[in-house]
Amino acid sequence: MCGIIGYIGFRNAKEVGIDCLKRLEYRGYDSAGISVIDKIQQVYKEVGEIKELEKKLPDIKGNISINHTRWATTGGVTKENAHPHLSTNKKIAIVHNGIIENFRKLKEQLIAKGYKFTSQTDSEVLAHLIEDNYKGDLEKAVFNALKQVEGYYAIVVTSSDEPDKIVGARKDSPLVIGVGDNENFLASDIPAFLKYTNRVIYLNDGELCSLTDKDVKVFDSNNNVVERNEDIIKWDFKDAEKSGFPHFMLKEIFDQKDTVAYVLRGRISEIDRKIEFHEKVENLLKSELDFINIVACGTSYYAGLVGKYLIEKLTGISVVVDLASEYRYFGPKKENSFVILITQSGETLDTLAALKEAKASGCKTLVITNVIGSSATRLSDSYVLTQSGPEIGVAATKTFTAQVITLFLIGLKIAFNQNKIGFDEVSKNILELKELPKIVRDALEKSPTILEIAKQIKHAKSVFFIGRGINYPLALEGALKLKEISYIHAEGFAAGELKHGPFALLTETTPVVAIATKDSTYDKILANIGEVKARGPTVLAIADDADTEIEKHADLVLRYTSHSELLSCIPIIVILQLLAYHVANLNGCSIDKPRNLAKSVTVE
Amino acid sequence: MKCVILAAGEGKRVHPLTYTRPKVMLPIANKPILEWNLKNAIDAGFKEFIFVVAYKSEMVRNYFGNGDKWGIKIGYINQGQALGTAHAIGMVEKFVNDFIVLSGDTIFGKQEIKAIAKNKNCIGIIKAENLKDYGTVEIKDKNILKIHEKMENPVTNIINAGIYHFDKKIFDYIRKTKKSIRGEYEITDSINMMLNDISLVSILLKEWKDIVYPWHLLDANEEILKKIVKKIKGNIEKNTTIKGNVVIGKNTTIRAGAYIEGPVIIGENSKIGPNCYIRPYTSIGNNCHVGNACEVKNSIIMDGTNVPHQNYVGDSILGQYCNLGAGTKVANLRLDKKNITILLNGEKVDTKRRKLGIIMGDNVQTGINSMMNVGTCVGNNVFLGPGVVLSGEIQPFSKFL
Repeated sequence: MCGIIGYIGFRNAKEVGIDCLKRLEYRGYDSAGISVIDKIQQVYKEVGEIKELEKKLPDIKGNISINHTRWATTGGVTKENAHPHLSTNKKIAIVHNGIIENFRKLKEQLIAKGYKFTSQTDSEVLAHLIEDNYKGDLEKAVFNALKQVEGYYAIVVTSSDEPDKIVGARKDSPLVIGVGDNENFLASDIPAFLKYTNRVIYLNDGELCSLTDKDVKVFDSNNNVVERNEDIIKWDFKDAEKSGFPHFMLKEIFDQKDTVAYVLRGRISEIDRKIEFHEKVENLLKSELDFINIVACGTSYYAGLVGKYLIEKLTGISVVVDLASEYRYFGPKKENSFVILITQSGETLDTLAALKEAKASGCKTLVITNVIGSSATRLSDSYVLTQSGPEIGVAATKTFTAQVITLFLIGLKIAFNQNKIGFDEVSKNILELKELPKIVRDALEKSPTILEIAKQIKHAKSVFFIGRGINYPLALEGALKLKEISYIHAEGFAAGELKHGPFALLTETTPVVAIATKDSTYDKILANIGEVKARGPTVLAIADDADTEIEKHADLVLRYTSHSELLSCIPIIVILQLLAYHVANLNGCSIDKPRNLAKSVTVE
Repeated sequence: MKCVILAAGEGKRVHPLTYTRPKVMLPIANKPILEWNLKNAIDAGFKEFIFVVAYKSEMVRNYFGNGDKWGIKIGYINQGQALGTAHAIGMVEKFVNDFIVLSGDTIFGKQEIKAIAKNKNCIGIIKAENLKDYGTVEIKDKNILKIHEKMENPVTNIINAGIYHFDKKIFDYIRKTKKSIRGEYEITDSINMMLNDISLVSILLKEWKDIVYPWHLLDANEEILKKIVKKIKGNIEKNTTIKGNVVIGKNTTIRAGAYIEGPVIIGENSKIGPNCYIRPYTSIGNNCHVGNACEVKNSIIMDGTNVPHQNYVGDSILGQYCNLGAGTKVANLRLDKKNITILLNGEKVDTKRRKLGIIMGDNVQTGINSMMNVGTCVGNNVFLGPGVVLSGEIQPFSKFL
């Protein structure tokens, strides 16, 4: 995830650009850059946070700028790889958020034509490609260049030959127009410019726009001008970082409609029917694997447990999941065995210690994390990024789903490598993965219904979550979410285990959340619900939308849509997150900062 | 010549009314403060305006649009951040040459604006009493010597009125202005620098109304209502009494038994009566309801608010879309006859008024027989249950059951 800004207007474009960029810092902060047109393109870049860039900037005049804050995905964190990128003639500057999938091919063609590259990024291709298409009209050049591009992008482009114009376009990456008076803005997200204007025009996928200080023109994918109305943003600029949501956690739960797609970026190829990772990861997954150890803490541990079911189902290889705080001291660490460590921050102390132990014992280590450049990425043999953007709420939400999807991709890759599945099977799974944003959106739309149900359980002293198979770790995670933010005692159980003890705790006032998917154990879970009901508690079932049987058994039903047995875990967890959120919110809890908890646990 | 009106401020000292609107949109006699200034400036001959906006700017823009309704041109500049008057005026550099600039939250008379427009490089001044609240101005033969910040022992009794006539040169000094102690770029600092090179003339103003605290709206309301002329467009039933200068908007119905003592202004589509008493210096907005056995005196009732059954509202300001429950009453006089103090943003302020009811934000609902003591500040969206007694400062969105 990256943040991009374009400004044209009457103010000092450098100052406005930096100011807006700071509001996008949450989208990434490993490097930043700016280009202001003052006769020529004046480009400044720096590795590190935006304030590092700000310190190095001289006074620059000029009323048009493009700006970028980077969260590296292709190419390391270096000054050269930071945006903006210039074309070979140094007249055209671009900032880009997304991935250019066919950049290698385009790069070869452009090099053959004599264009000179200075970075390892996929994005730089766009600058040269636009120059290649430039015939005196920037809009047309961008339009024609983008026709050759495969991938995802939001881009903002300026040319020193047309210093009164700024061009933007998007496909599957966000870009919003801020309409001001005698000035206009382009940004990845509204908070960036909200201080200056609250009038916005949403750019649709595949559209292109051209801004001067006075007007905004929007073009559709056939390059015809389209009329667009302005929307007024009602939320205050103080709430802006939360994009109008009352809490970061709720924002991040809603972010999942996008992050479930971001995590796939650069990793699935529908055309080649392939799962792709970084070379180091590929090599690791190619090696002979007959056992996998997953090590993590907290929510990441539960993601590991979900991953265990997914990987075992896909590959038949046994997976053991350990808590990092236990694994580091106990249990065998066999040489050459494969260990996957999961940590959102990449700085969790127990997980880092486990990583060091594993490496010392000669294990092959792979880290799944959200933060590039974190200790975990530096210490491990290889890493996979969850590409979800910074997560601020202490209760992990969007990174959990991204971790689960990453483990699913790893499972698919191993299964393919070991000839357990073929191209057709991979392709079928890729199509199902691509359905996820829609499925998550459907689950999010249930929020008002979930709120009503939350009202019924907000006074409970204790809540049980039950499930079988993959739904068992989901029950654990659902319980963890509820207890950590609402302070209500909550426990997850494997449904079959209820009668081996937990039944003793069950009273009429203990609501039970049962996850009932139509898998091979569906009848069993119905039987478990029956056992629970016989003792009086309210049962809330989470079931798929085609399930007509469940009403006969449960008191309340929340439904998700899914056509995939394995990926149903994603909408289910979204529902459980919303349930925890609404209960905590109704009880007036401090949701983004629960008592006694920290986001990244860097102490033992 | 363009007229620049500074309309960006939130007006924290006018909370709770400005939680939901910018200061310049506070209504006086059913028109925003900014409109009174706009009308006076139009009467003084201005046709082109620039509004410098920021806080809740869409409300200003939605109300005034491009100025067609007044037959003038309005352009907008968003200040972005409230960084002070010099910063605000600096915003318009690219759009003006010779221009006047005035604070949109202070009402200037038509003659005053004319006088400022006539004299190049001048500053409006005014003789005042509460000198501690204002920066004072030192003058000699009409020429400005220096503008002082607020101080304990002011050297003159003349204050800076907040209206200026400048040309392009002011921007050189604005650029050189440093942040003041209170962290803002102040135009007075720019002017003091300018005085070293260029002389500025003072223009003594007479008609001038500054709004610092919410109850100043009641004073301004009273002054403007004194000048209104009787004009009745609504439907008046038989057996109503309308005395003095009363303005009643179209589609407003005055029902039998209503007793209205002017000066009073009532907006459009409101329902008044039956059997109510509306006393002098009251402004009632559009779509309001004042019902049976209600008495309203010297108050501002904003659009969509109901004072429907057995209520007393005196010396008070009620925001938009409030609803008083049956029997909700407001106290407006201390029995010991002392000045009423008010808690505003946690600070105690002497209002210097013996009579003051409540200041109520938008969307407040009160339960039956709830009561509010003198000087109560009720935040927006507050919810009161039956029989609640309130005093002090109530935070927005509070619930009292």
